[in-house]
Amino acid sequence: MASGPTKEMLAELASRPGRDTIVSTFIKAVFIGLSLLFLAALLFAPLVTVFVTALEKGYEMYFESFRDSDTIAAIRLTLITAAIVVPVNTVFGIAAAWAIGKFEFRGKSMLITLIDLPIAVSPVISGLIYVLLFGAQGWFGIWLQEHDISIIYALPGIVLATMFVTFPYVARELIPLMQQLGNDEEEAAITMGAGGLMTFFHVTLPKIRWGLVYGVILCNARAMGEFGAVSVVSGHIRGMTTTMPLHVEILYNEYNFVGAFAVASLLTLLAVVTLIVKTLVEWRTGYTRTK
Amino acid sequence: MSITLDQVTKRYQGAPVVNDVSLEVAQGEFFVLLGPSGSGKSTLLRAIAGLTGVDHGRIALHGQDVTHVSARQRGVGLVFQNYALFKHMTVGENIEFALRVRHMKAADRLKRRRELLRLVALEGMDDRLPTQLSGGQQQRVAVARALAHKPQVLLLDEPFGALDAKIREELRRTIRQVQRELKITTVLVTHDQEEAFALADRIGVMNLGRLLESGKPDELYARPATRFVATFLGAANLLLARQTTQGIRFGSTPVRAHPTDKLDGGREHEVVAVLRPEEIELAPTRDALRTNFIANGVVEELVFTGALERMRVRMTSGAAEGQLVSSGAENHASSAFLDVTRTQYEHRAFPVTLQQSVAVGVRRIHVLPTPLSSYTACASGPEAAERLARHPFLAELAARMKTRIASRVEPTLAAPDRNVAASTPISGVAVIATQNNLLQQSEWLLQNGAAELLVLPSQAAPPQRVLIHWADDSARRSTLAVAASVLRHVPAEAVYLGILPGAADDAQKPLGVRALLDARSEAQSVHGLEMRTELHFGGAAEALNRQLGESTDQMLILGISSLQQLRDQFGAMLASPVPYSLMIVYRPAKELEVNPRLDGIRDTGGAGERAALS
Repeated sequence: MASGPTKEMLAELASRPGRDTIVSTFIKAVFIGLSLLFLAALLFAPLVTVFVTALEKGYEMYFESFRDSDTIAAIRLTLITAAIVVPVNTVFGIAAAWAIGKFEFRGKSMLITLIDLPIAVSPVISGLIYVLLFGAQGWFGIWLQEHDISIIYALPGIVLATMFVTFPYVARELIPLMQQLGNDEEEAAITMGAGGLMTFFHVTLPKIRWGLVYGVILCNARAMGEFGAVSVVSGHIRGMTTTMPLHVEILYNEYNFVGAFAVASLLTLLAVVTLIVKTLVEWRTGYTRTK
Repeated sequence: MSITLDQVTKRYQGAPVVNDVSLEVAQGEFFVLLGPSGSGKSTLLRAIAGLTGVDHGRIALHGQDVTHVSARQRGVGLVFQNYALFKHMTVGENIEFALRVRHMKAADRLKRRRELLRLVALEGMDDRLPTQLSGGQQQRVAVARALAHKPQVLLLDEPFGALDAKIREELRRTIRQVQRELKITTVLVTHDQEEAFALADRIGVMNLGRLLESGKPDELYARPATRFVATFLGAANLLLARQTTQGIRFGSTPVRAHPTDKLDGGREHEVVAVLRPEEIELAPTRDALRTNFIANGVVEELVFTGALERMRVRMTSGAAEGQLVSSGAENHASSAFLDVTRTQYEHRAFPVTLQQSVAVGVRRIHVLPTPLSSYTACASGPEAAERLARHPFLAELAARMKTRIASRVEPTLAAPDRNVAASTPISGVAVIATQNNLLQQSEWLLQNGAAELLVLPSQAAPPQRVLIHWADDSARRSTLAVAASVLRHVPAEAVYLGILPGAADDAQKPLGVRALLDARSEAQSVHGLEMRTELHFGGAAEALNRQLGESTDQMLILGISSLQQLRDQFGAMLASPVPYSLMIVYRPAKELEVNPRLDGIRDTGGAGERAALS
């Protein structure tokens, strides 16, 4: 633009509280300080503890604990589960948000409520549902045994339970976004002759990408960290059906603090890395786009 | 024809949002759909684009029926109010989108992009992102993008809605220029009449889902056929007047001047007169007026707006008696205000100040060809009359028609007596509440000057369906005129019921179908009213009762040409209180024969004379 302040700058200026509404910089400092204090007590301290305890007996012991075959199996299982669950739930989340955001149909509010269900229900119950369905005494138990299919105490059960617990994350992130963004751009694309797929990939997806990235990250974090539901269906078979959170518990109960905290630190690192990746992607794309 | 709409109807939750719209837009024409928000104009535009399906009717583009063709295949260009640009794409990418869909070569795309950017005066902006552009520039990009695939029809949905006045005007000029240069058929939707005048070759005014009138801007402005168009397209003072042999009379003040429209017949009846604010002249005294005196008044409001001076004059005598219906929405029924605008030149010739007494004259009067002028709530006691005058449906109808509801006490109504005549003929539409001696009351009122009678049950809601029937062909014309007038103010579907006797043989059936077609084509050509037709067999009253029993929220408009008909054919229906709204249109057949050169749409019966005849 030629000259003068940009529209964004003016909008930002207008959205800030006026000088007179804030009593003094002292109050500002107090508020910032309070927020930091809470963060320190609730977030940083435990984080530090995790790493400190893990490294208590030196780096060697720390890395030694990852050489344990059970630990490696747990890490592998967790990654496999996340690798299956996250894409599936992403597709589901987009489909559900699309349906809710773009169409009017009977039972729409019912669907929204149902999507929220896994958040409301205790994860233990979520796990139990699958045990009741597919367990030896469950509804399909006999049939499954006859056909030699194991779901409970095996990978399918863990994947199912994790999927159930994490499926709201992408959808919850996208539904309000899609409702708010409206259909104008899609409709414009359609009148220009674009088909469904082209409209989705060139118009809708770019529109919702940040919401989607955020939803996927939340979904992934929860999928890797889920304890309750997985605990019920896994059967805690060491090296076979323990995911990282379960393995942490086992090690901890065995008083293997270094091992437990080492795995915990890895879990934490994975979460931190995903957050950093998200921020990086956001920052880089945002940077090139607005300049 | 570039765009042809035939009886297009779109319902939303049962209620029609676009109601039987038929329209033709010629090749290269700039057509503006004008209407208030909620009038269905945007829905209609989306239906043309194919983004909204229609429940009934046909849409054709360039002679090709596209009713069931998807938006993707229709190949129209559409511009949205909020631009709907792809924010993650640059201006160039946005414009090329439709070409990329069509797999056009990059070099050709670039050429077309350059061409379009030149057309909308945005050369060199290719690599900007939409967020870096001003609103006006974004809308230019949207127009260029909509034109990229060379659509044969360009549709614009309130394209200037989000822009401020200055940019709006500039963009308006650009769009007009682009349209002229490409000679592309264009439909633009707006609620801004100034915009419509500035752009349109032809304007169509929509309200309540119906296309009320369409025509050249100047013609619509000078000769509107409906109250809505008169007041929505520019400002207008609506006045109730009486049309007499000498011309128009406001209360007891005759206006000698010949109204602009030829008046039919020699009979006196109530009409609605349109006085544009700029056609009103003010002078210090009656004798100083160069035009026809209509009233004395006092200046109550005075606003200087630059080129024009706007004022509001309260009439103290003359036309004030005639009861005024002003376009200013609030308290229009009680006070007799006239909106007046004067040029600087007029102001210098006769400066006025607040509270000054003036004589009011008028240069030009346009009489609306509507048969429904005002309502008179009739009851045997004052409380009942008052209560009826406050009936929600009646109040809504009157408010939409911008007319008044008078109340009138007729003690005779308690026990109608043929031999007792009303003191003065009843003017306007007589309204009564439904009750046991409905037939007798109806007969008495129709006998005593009421040409239309509205019967309202106490719970009547605005109808969703209006049934139309007339007892014989001589009542057709007037019934259709009344039906058209009602339907312009009620968001309902119209159905004409033709009824043949149950014993009708095969030879009679073609006649019945013929009558239906005649009715439809007359409604369409004379009133611009689209309606559906149904043919039924059996006794008229039974057939009507059957239809009316189908659902609630219906209204019946019944045309008769003699009171005998009412008693013989429909007496059974009126024997007990009716649960639906009923409008009876009564034009004695004899009189129609006497007066063969009736104008069709303006044949409101002469009240006084008819009372004498019957």
